[in-house]
Amino acid sequence: MRNYIAVVFNDTGKAYEGLHALWQLDDHMEVTVHGAAVVHRDSLGQFQVDTKETHPALATAVGVGIGALLGALAGPAGAAVGAAKGAGIGAATGGVAGLAADAGRADTREQAALEAGFVLGDGQSAVIADVSEDWTSPINTRMKSLGGVVYRRAKSDLEGDSWYDSYLYPYDYYLYPYEYVPPAYPVL
Amino acid sequence: MGKIDTNIKDALDNVRAAAQGLHGAISDAAAKRGGATKADLEAFAQKARAVAESAKGSLNAQNEAAKKHLADAVTHLEATQKHAVEAAKSSGQAFQTSIKKTLADARASVQKISEAVAAKRSAVSNKTK
Repeated sequence: MRNYIAVVFNDTGKAYEGLHALWQLDDHMEVTVHGAAVVHRDSLGQFQVDTKETHPALATAVGVGIGALLGALAGPAGAAVGAAKGAGIGAATGGVAGLAADAGRADTREQAALEAGFVLGDGQSAVIADVSEDWTSPINTRMKSLGGVVYRRAKSDLEGDSWYDSYLYPYDYYLYPYEYVPPAYPVL
Repeated sequence: MGKIDTNIKDALDNVRAAAQGLHGAISDAAAKRGGATKADLEAFAQKARAVAESAKGSLNAQNEAAKKHLADAVTHLEATQKHAVEAAKSSGQAFQTSIKKTLADARASVQKISEAVAAKRSAVSNKTK
């Protein structure tokens, strides 16, 4: 089954351990990772995605794409919680704006929280990935052992969202198709 | 659970690794001050062609689902080669456009190969369930 996953960690270093573990599962052929990235939310609620140094235009595209994917992982109403503080990654307004329209369906914040999938709290980091998996247990077990909490949305489910537009947000292509660890986190 | 024997990595896994390496190299070169050099681009074109040939060579060994993804990957690899050659011959805005296309097609090729790998692994694991 094709899923987008978010694995939330309280510590950035642990998130990179999680990223490494995910690619190890791929190497052991227990899952197939199509792409992955690590996203942080600082104490002020601002999102940041670790990317290679690259052309500014490409960096902006990554910001928009990852921002939209974060909202997609949160689910239609959950996005209200995730984006409530006006969070965004760079120019990620497209995803946030699209989500706001769906979020209007939730009567209260509590309802939104009930429907919410993935929510990244201030100071937390998450591994975001596009995976094919026949069983959820390999990722769940490995990530739990590292202190991570796994959230999933089936790709087919995401494609049912009213604001989904694969042309505007080709999520797959904004994730690294191999293990990318920035120089700041060399120890794995 | 039908865990797969890790010793059965095959040509398709090698094609995937090569395409991942190609994407990484193009991405790094695009980030360089002054951009990718003509030598870089010529090397990317050659590598893209080699990966495409490897992918074609492993087509017949795949199941139908994997075969389709792999055929799509070949199309993207050939486009990667074409855009890299164009970039090597151009300058200014045309150069920037060609570099972006080169990177986009390289990324798309990795995606398709990865989907082929997933299709193959899924078929193998279903047999072992």
